[in-house]
Amino acid sequence: MSDADRTRGQIHSIRGGKDDPPPPEGPLRRLASILAADISGYSRLMELDEEGTYARVIRQRRELIEPTLAEHHGKLIKYTGDGFLAMFDSPVEAVRCAIVIQQSMVGRNTSLPREQWILYRIGVHLGDVIVEPSDVYGDGVNIAARLEGIASPGDVYVSGGVYEQIKNKLVCAYQSLGDRQVKNITDPVSVYRVLPDPAALSQARRKRWPVALLAVLLVSVIAILGGWYLLLLQKQIANQGPTLAGTPGSPAASSSAPQPLPTPAPMPVEKPKGSPSVSAPAQVPLEKPKESSSPTPATVGIAAQLIPEMVSIPGGTFAMGSEDDPSEKPTHRVTIKPFAISKFPITVREWNACVAAKSCTYVPTGKDDGPIANLSWADAQQFVEWLSKVTQKPVRLPTEAEWEYAARGGTRSKFWWGDQLQAAMANCKGCNEPYESSQPLKVGSFKPNPFGLYDMGGNIHQWVADCWHKNYQGAPSDGSAWVDNDCLSHVIRSGSWKNDPNYVRPSSRDHYDTSVRYPTHGLRIAQSL
Amino acid sequence: MKNTRAILAAALLTGLPVAAYSQGTTAPADAFLYIIWPPDGTTVKGAFWCRFGLRNMGVTQAGSNAVNSGHHHLLIDVNEPLDPNEPIPQDKTHLHFGAGQTEARIELPPGKHTLQLVLGDARHYPFNPPVISKKITITIK
Repeated sequence: MSDADRTRGQIHSIRGGKDDPPPPEGPLRRLASILAADISGYSRLMELDEEGTYARVIRQRRELIEPTLAEHHGKLIKYTGDGFLAMFDSPVEAVRCAIVIQQSMVGRNTSLPREQWILYRIGVHLGDVIVEPSDVYGDGVNIAARLEGIASPGDVYVSGGVYEQIKNKLVCAYQSLGDRQVKNITDPVSVYRVLPDPAALSQARRKRWPVALLAVLLVSVIAILGGWYLLLLQKQIANQGPTLAGTPGSPAASSSAPQPLPTPAPMPVEKPKGSPSVSAPAQVPLEKPKESSSPTPATVGIAAQLIPEMVSIPGGTFAMGSEDDPSEKPTHRVTIKPFAISKFPITVREWNACVAAKSCTYVPTGKDDGPIANLSWADAQQFVEWLSKVTQKPVRLPTEAEWEYAARGGTRSKFWWGDQLQAAMANCKGCNEPYESSQPLKVGSFKPNPFGLYDMGGNIHQWVADCWHKNYQGAPSDGSAWVDNDCLSHVIRSGSWKNDPNYVRPSSRDHYDTSVRYPTHGLRIAQSL
Repeated sequence: MKNTRAILAAALLTGLPVAAYSQGTTAPADAFLYIIWPPDGTTVKGAFWCRFGLRNMGVTQAGSNAVNSGHHHLLIDVNEPLDPNEPIPQDKTHLHFGAGQTEARIELPPGKHTLQLVLGDARHYPFNPPVISKKITITIK
């Protein structure tokens, strides 16, 4: 890493245009929260409608910016070409003000076509600055401006110093974006994205659609899905594919239903032999009004069949972890509530329904009955969110504890079948002869575990809901997902066809960057009961 | 520069049997990957920050096809040669830094360990020619 072109101690004005020296008698310095904002794509907006945009910006200054600043005890330093610079005594007030401005802008934009939206990018930094009657100078101002520069349109980015001050005072969610090197500042600045609603954090990584657009999209998606599913079902009847083999009813029966279904279509649950714990998962009754345009009962019935085969897992208490690897220690007792988990990892065919609905961005290659692979955690999250939406069932990724409990199938041994490696039990490098190294085998190629679950160990890595923690010190004991705000890496389970037998163990755990795809990473889904 | 090339050549010869690379994205001939810290032969107490150095190429995120850029992989105690026609493996001895990290906190059990960096392309394949650091040996006290 090169350390070149760093200039420290030099004092710049906010836009870097002027390099005014401080007054000779010694400048007035003070600690202040600096808020820098600008309009994203301002020149594009001006090109589109110069007078209209200008009028709207001026009106927003008068109606929104100035009153909001005053309300939060902020001082407007100056308007820049397309933004403004403000100073606050309190970082809490500065961030509050930023959130209010962003939320008000959402309201103002919704009635307008997308290309006319005015979106601010806002950066807030707490720093020592030089104050003059009509301007402020210093590193602190520059950093606020740089934060604003890297913020996404409509977002508020704050520096680590601001975050430390506000984290326990403002009920927001904060997404850590790591340390960023900013132009002309020597030390990296830690950057946090402020999400006004804590619930927004889990959605932070996926695309955000305007609500109106989403509704329209959902209707068309479901219409497409309906047609697609009919096609798929025809194919499947021909293929006798394993993943949806239990699908009850014919498409004609459900699509010809003239009124809302009195009872929802049963989930495609197949009871494997010799597995006493398996039962049909609970159904969420569908309560859609008759005149509802979206989704119609028939399409919801079809959508419900998009849920892969699920197996109900009874609740219980088990010893999670092992002494075999530092990451699996300490072994600790965890109580699991009843839940359902997909019988197989999600297949390429199942994934493609999400791609067809334009809800999953990753377009896979590979055979239809193979496990979906090359996913990031964010991709996996897109799938469960889409499936929840179209089926109106709270589908999610399993928690790490649920995954291990399900993988053990009630056993305590090293592998679910015993302490010794056995052939024909799992797909891994060194598990079987012959070994196919280029791709995973189709799902369900080996024996199911005592819970009737296939591929719980080997064949394909499976993302779970939990953030990565290097061991179980401080892990929850209620089976919930162990998550925190600062989560750049998530847990993967199961090992893949590329890993050695050690990774097939139900307690084996590993992790990977949340946003990064890798060819051996897939998923299975779960649902609380 | 001469020196750099010599080190690179040495690293290639010791680290990787040169085979046919059909998959790899091309890398500039003067690309130089090295471990800034710890130095070869160091004794370290407990966990440490391993810092990754790269010259004449850029670090980018996995999935990004930016020209002459890749992401780091740290190989710990790996003796098998890398297969240039396969993605760099992902397990506890092949650590991936696909978010574009240039350093990592490493915790290893006491004893002698080897560390080696390999640069991967957008799809985690080694480059052609492979961009790979000298393999260093450290001791954890």
